[in-house]
Amino acid sequence: MSSSSSSSSSTELSIPLHVKYIQSLGENKDDLIYHMTSHLRLNAIYWGLTALCVMNRQDALDREEMIAFVMSCWDEEAGGFGAHSGHDAHIHATLSAIQILILQDASDKIDVPRVVNCEPSKHIFHSRRTLPEMLTEGLPLLVILSLQQPSGVFAGDAFGEIDTRFSYIAVQSLSLLGQLDKLNVDKTVSYVLKCRNFDGGFGAVVGAESHAAMVFVCVALLAILDKLDEIDQETLAWWLAERQLPNGGLNGRPQKLEDVCYSFWVLSAMSILGKLTWIDADKLIQFILSAQDPENGGIADRPGDQPDVFHTLFGVAGLSLLGYPGLETIDPAYCLPESVTKRLGLRKNWKALPKRT
Amino acid sequence: MPRVTSNNSDDEAQLYCEKSEWQDITPIPQYDGINPIAPIFYTPEYKDATEYFRAIVKADEVSERVLQLTYDIISMNPAHYSAWQYRYRTLVALKHPLDVELELMDAFAIKFLKTYQVWHHRRLLLTALRSSAPSPLSIASKELAFIIRALSTDTKNYHTWSYRQWLLAFFDDEELWEGELPYVERLLETDVRNNSAWHHRYFVVWGRVRAEGEIDVGDVLKREIAYTKDQIALAPNNPSAWNYLRGILEHTKTPFNSLRTFVELYSTQTAPGEEDIVDLDNPKPGPGAQLPCAPALEFLADIHEEMGGEQTKKAIEIWKSLGNEYDTMRKKYWEFRVKEALSV
Repeated sequence: MSSSSSSSSSTELSIPLHVKYIQSLGENKDDLIYHMTSHLRLNAIYWGLTALCVMNRQDALDREEMIAFVMSCWDEEAGGFGAHSGHDAHIHATLSAIQILILQDASDKIDVPRVVNCEPSKHIFHSRRTLPEMLTEGLPLLVILSLQQPSGVFAGDAFGEIDTRFSYIAVQSLSLLGQLDKLNVDKTVSYVLKCRNFDGGFGAVVGAESHAAMVFVCVALLAILDKLDEIDQETLAWWLAERQLPNGGLNGRPQKLEDVCYSFWVLSAMSILGKLTWIDADKLIQFILSAQDPENGGIADRPGDQPDVFHTLFGVAGLSLLGYPGLETIDPAYCLPESVTKRLGLRKNWKALPKRT
Repeated sequence: MPRVTSNNSDDEAQLYCEKSEWQDITPIPQYDGINPIAPIFYTPEYKDATEYFRAIVKADEVSERVLQLTYDIISMNPAHYSAWQYRYRTLVALKHPLDVELELMDAFAIKFLKTYQVWHHRRLLLTALRSSAPSPLSIASKELAFIIRALSTDTKNYHTWSYRQWLLAFFDDEELWEGELPYVERLLETDVRNNSAWHHRYFVVWGRVRAEGEIDVGDVLKREIAYTKDQIALAPNNPSAWNYLRGILEHTKTPFNSLRTFVELYSTQTAPGEEDIVDLDNPKPGPGAQLPCAPALEFLADIHEEMGGEQTKKAIEIWKSLGNEYDTMRKKYWEFRVKEALSV
């Protein structure tokens, strides 16, 4: 049995510290980092909230305040969510908003807030309405579908950056909204399959190098669309297993440094492929735990670095898939708690490692 | 306080609200008419510029000064995709010379190498230039040289590499393709383990769409196998080179067994002695090489499995040795291979 003394913070997950760390993030609004990352604010809230859910502490952030903030990010004109109130809509922020509202079980309770736009003539909504009403109007839906390119890939916004990440975001958003029947599945899948490389992995666009984060989005997309039989799963799972380095950590490409976030990208893809046992779980758990900040909480990309909310989520999510005790199971295809995807009837056939005791 | 003249480009300290030529615009604050729950307190310069940007967008203004304004905003926040988008639209509407824009963005791209928008903007510019510039190929070729400069600061940058691959496929001209292999070889000379360079090699040699009979696949394969063997001899435990070797054999449907002699040199405990005959087709591992190397053992086991029959036993032995000794981290995977083979 491992020691439970407080000095062994690097060998156990310090849940109370991480909860405190996530709570503290919104408090320092004078912090330079806070301003620099405003274009990721809604994503950061999703990362923080999901990390809390995995640690069974969803109550640690104020629900009403969070819902109000999410709704203030609604970009009336574009029909999607921006990363922050007053920011232009982006498909990534839109997914985070949908995820947060679903996590808070708020999708049928919220009023769309007063319009925050400066062009009253262009208002589409004249009064307050609920999210389901808004969705029935088809607004975000239309916007998401309009981002699909002739090649089948999705763009992130009207600027037109294309990438399999945006395809995944679109697919997950439509799935959570129960609107997958509106998607051109064959076209979407065919672009993803074109991103497959000679080493078995997937890249961000056709011709691009295999990268574990892109493998995650492609595999999770195929899982959500029930199209996993279209790929060579064994070669891919082997490429993923090769990402583990002697110190236990995982990298995203050969010869790159290990990073805690790959604990989720690699593990999620492997659990969807049912090959999670190929990872040396003990070594990886030790690596993730060693990247914790033992004083202020939070998890960093690797030991000794500054923690952030992104790596905190993907650290605990990785631990969850590895069966670390006391954690809620994360659904690797959606990066949401399994309880949520079960509730929505969206759980696919993936396998996490058995819970340790 | 002395006023700097408005056409002075060093005039960076001045806020837009202080500039005489912007007096006709009424800036729009971020939180117009709402009480934000989580307000952002930006620097005065950023807040000022984005307030004018909102006003410009609202008025749908197309003018030279929009270019200065958007440039200032993306300098402060290169991830501001709306400013990029508006800038590109304005450039096109004004018929602004796009090659000038491209050059203006050079230093910027290197400074913000990891920002996606920087490369997407160049992609839009090159797309437009291909159909509008008098000599698009020379622009593309200059762009390839620029990308080399950018990659020299980070030889594995993901967006930069995929931009290069996009450019080559988009222009698809022999004049552009021909420099790629020498470039890859220069990179691998510096770092033979650079996976991005190996990937690019595959893209250039095998990914390029060619007409039937344009190249002799047999000759190309021979050259690529010889090259890869030499690189493996330099660094036997380099997974990128082994993956490339497997990739090209699978792509050309060449049996793994054809490389048996070479692979065996790397699967034994000890390096072959100096007295052995020099076989140029099968370069030996260097004196300091760590042997046997795991990728070679894996390769050899695949050869045995490919041959089947009695040889399957040899494959199983190798997988067991990988799991128990040479690659213990992936023990479960090697056990899986053994189980699969036994169940057949």
